[in-house]
Amino acid sequence: MTFPKLFLPVSIVAGIMTITACSHIFSTESSLPAAHPEAVGEGRVACSECHEDQIKGVLKPYATFNHSQLFVKEHRFYAGSNDKLCASCHATSFCNDCHANELEIKPSIKLGDRPDRELIHRGDYMTRHKIDGKIDPTSCFRCHGRANNEQCIVCHK
Amino acid sequence: MSSLAARIALFLLSLPALAGAADLGVNGTTLVSFEQRSTPGFERQRVIPATQFLGIDADHLGNPNLSLHLYGWGRVDLADRSTDEKYTDGDLTYGYLRYLFPTANGEVKAGRFFVFDGVSAEHVDGVSARADLARGFALSMYGGAPVRLDRADDNKGDVIIGGRVSYRIPSLFELGFSALHEKGVTNGQTTDLKDHRQLVGGDLWLRPHKTTEFSGRISYNTATDGVAEQSYLLTVRPSAPLSVAGEYSRYRIKDYFAATNIRSLFNPDTGDNVQYYGGSVTYVIAKPAEVTVSYRHYNRDITGNSDRFGGEGRLTLLDNKCRAGLSYFRTEAPTGINSYHEIRGYLLHTAAKYTASVDTIAHLYDDKIFGKNTAFEVQGSAGYRLRPNLKLSGDLSYGQNPQFNDELKGLVRLTFNYDFIKGAGK
Ligand code: HEC
Ligand code: HEC
Ligand code: HEC
Ligand code: HEC
Ligand code: HEC
Repeated sequence: MTFPKLFLPVSIVAGIMTITACSHIFSTESSLPAAHPEAVGEGRVACSECHEDQIKGVLKPYATFNHSQLFVKEHRFYAGSNDKLCASCHATSFCNDCHANELEIKPSIKLGDRPDRELIHRGDYMTRHKIDGKIDPTSCFRCHGRANNEQCIVCHK
Repeated sequence: MSSLAARIALFLLSLPALAGAADLGVNGTTLVSFEQRSTPGFERQRVIPATQFLGIDADHLGNPNLSLHLYGWGRVDLADRSTDEKYTDGDLTYGYLRYLFPTANGEVKAGRFFVFDGVSAEHVDGVSARADLARGFALSMYGGAPVRLDRADDNKGDVIIGGRVSYRIPSLFELGFSALHEKGVTNGQTTDLKDHRQLVGGDLWLRPHKTTEFSGRISYNTATDGVAEQSYLLTVRPSAPLSVAGEYSRYRIKDYFAATNIRSLFNPDTGDNVQYYGGSVTYVIAKPAEVTVSYRHYNRDITGNSDRFGGEGRLTLLDNKCRAGLSYFRTEAPTGINSYHEIRGYLLHTAAKYTASVDTIAHLYDDKIFGKNTAFEVQGSAGYRLRPNLKLSGDLSYGQNPQFNDELKGLVRLTFNYDFIKGAGK
């Protein structure tokens, strides 16, 4: 069923790849490693403790990605344009712990042994969400707007 | 049903590939949780769900650049239902083959995966490709079918396609243009019903000086003709320990909520707008101690002005083995909506064999809710590493809140992370 539908995008992507390959317009720089070569432990990482200058391929300074409180809170500004870099340390499943998937387990329960993580909806969120959701429903929309809302329609029909 | 068959087929197809992998990583988490809730006037409810998460990463599938990544979960309820659904549930969150090119950060993926690229934050069954081009350009594209999990009346479309082009000047500037088109969804009611979702947008990263960075994102909904989102973030680091940030965001609900599947909750037809601005200051007192104060002012047309402000401190001691935090936030809502204080503190200790933590959070509401104006939860967790890659932990939490007189939750967690590398030398 989905295969005929896939044909169009596949051929577009393949076409563009072929055209660009033939016209030698790819960058010749070597790629980022598939996985970060050095194991970095738990907790906030400061890239600039081990690195200087600029990340090749990403063309931004390492310090831009220091996992400060601000970076973690505002990571949406970085994730949408540097996904290849994020993926060198983070499996997608890491992101899924917070970016819901019909799971119906709060991140703070799944990772109850990690109080140092910036997990959303800690404590009694059922009460609090009625306030937070009214003040600003746009943040909620990112994760619950088009999916991950089966449990919401019990009350929000 | 057919999607279940497809999942099983995909899994079976992947088995021979896994056997050929030179480097196989298997990780998982098993959770068995226990929850006892008492609601005034109702029978005590007991729920015991068991959930298994499983991830498989197989590298070197015959070719050093080819890998397979699978992740999914399944749940069985051992007592009362834990959700409003069936007693069992599960999903294949992702499962894709990835080919990485040795140069140009070239990458091709096929299968089920997530896309985080400009205006796209999507879950797709399909293909994607990206590459850096010469002279600072980069290009990425994806196409396929939006993933619909078990929700029957989900209004995701049948086909989705999107991509992003960017131009970069090293350590100075990045400008991206991105777009997505999804066919077969219904949009706004006040606007003429369109059968597609289409967003175009731009993102900008600018570093005019080595202390200053600016990021911005804009998305325009062409199906409803309006700017759905615009967000800007400015960060200044005048000296190493100090960083100051300012932000501004604005959302037009008509355009931002257009493609929702619960219109009663995320209602695009109210003519509503939300905007917020704020700032934060972080000061690293000494390497292990960091303090952040932040403020955000919200304005929503249909509810009014709100503020959220507070501070938090984080301590990292004994070579990262001991981590602690303390925070206070105040949410000041407009009249008619309750306001609250939030206080939280935690302490975590990790040693080679053991981990232990305590976490306390309390909320104090200005107005009573069901006769109560406080909610609190205390959670303790203890873990033991049976082997370097196998950890058993248990959490226990007790709380009281306006919903439940008392809520007792317990959880046993087993996490494992195995790597099987064939052949020596790696
Ligand atoms: C504990 C020290 C440490 C920390 C912290 C660290 N790295 Fe690394 N990183 C290394 C080492 C060692 C290498 C391999 C040697 C090299 O290429 O510099 C490496 C390599 C890399 C590479 C590949 C470089 C190349 O040219 O092949 C990237 C990209 C990278 N790190 C990004 C980051 C980012 C982003 C962060 C912060 C989120 C970070 N690293 C934090 C130690 C660290
Ligand atoms: C050098 C490796 C590295 C890179 C590259 C990297 N991260 Fe991280 N990130 C980490 C580590 C380590 C943690 C802490 C995980 C933990 O504590 O269990 C983390 C944590 C996080 C967290 C959660 C923080 C919390 O407190 O819960 C987010 C969100 C995050 N990273 C986003 C990103 C994004 C987005 C990117 C790409 C722009 C990225 N990371 C790139 C290593 C990295
Ligand atoms: C600790 C929880 C957590 C983790 C882990 C996490 N995120 Fe997020 N993410 C959030 C929250 C919360 C938001 C919403 C922020 C807001 O509204 O300002 C968000 C927003 C985003 C957005 C913006 C989505 C949109 O619709 O505009 C993107 C993209 C994103 N995250 C990507 C990632 C990626 C990629 C990873 C993994 C590397 C990741 N996130 C890991 C919590 C998390
Ligand atoms: C980064 C993604 C993300 C964002 C942003 C987000 N949520 Fe959630 N939310 C989750 C996850 C994950 C869960 C737990 C799993 C589930 O229920 O799907 C959850 C659960 C919930 C629950 C059920 C809580 C419970 O006790 O069972 C409510 C209510 C909720 N969210 C409301 C909101 C509201 C209101 C907002 C906006 C202020 C919001 N969420 C923003 C990811 C998110
Ligand atoms: C147990 C019932 C219940 C569940 C389940 C529930 N909510 Fe709510 N929610 C409420 C109530 C009650 C209100 C307050 C409505 C009011 O006062 O107008 C509310 C308000 C909200 C608001 C503010 C609406 C507005 O614009 O004024 C948002 C957003 C919201 N909920 C999101 C969610 C999400 C997302 C989920 C699922 C993850 C969810 N809720 C699950 C009962 C629930």
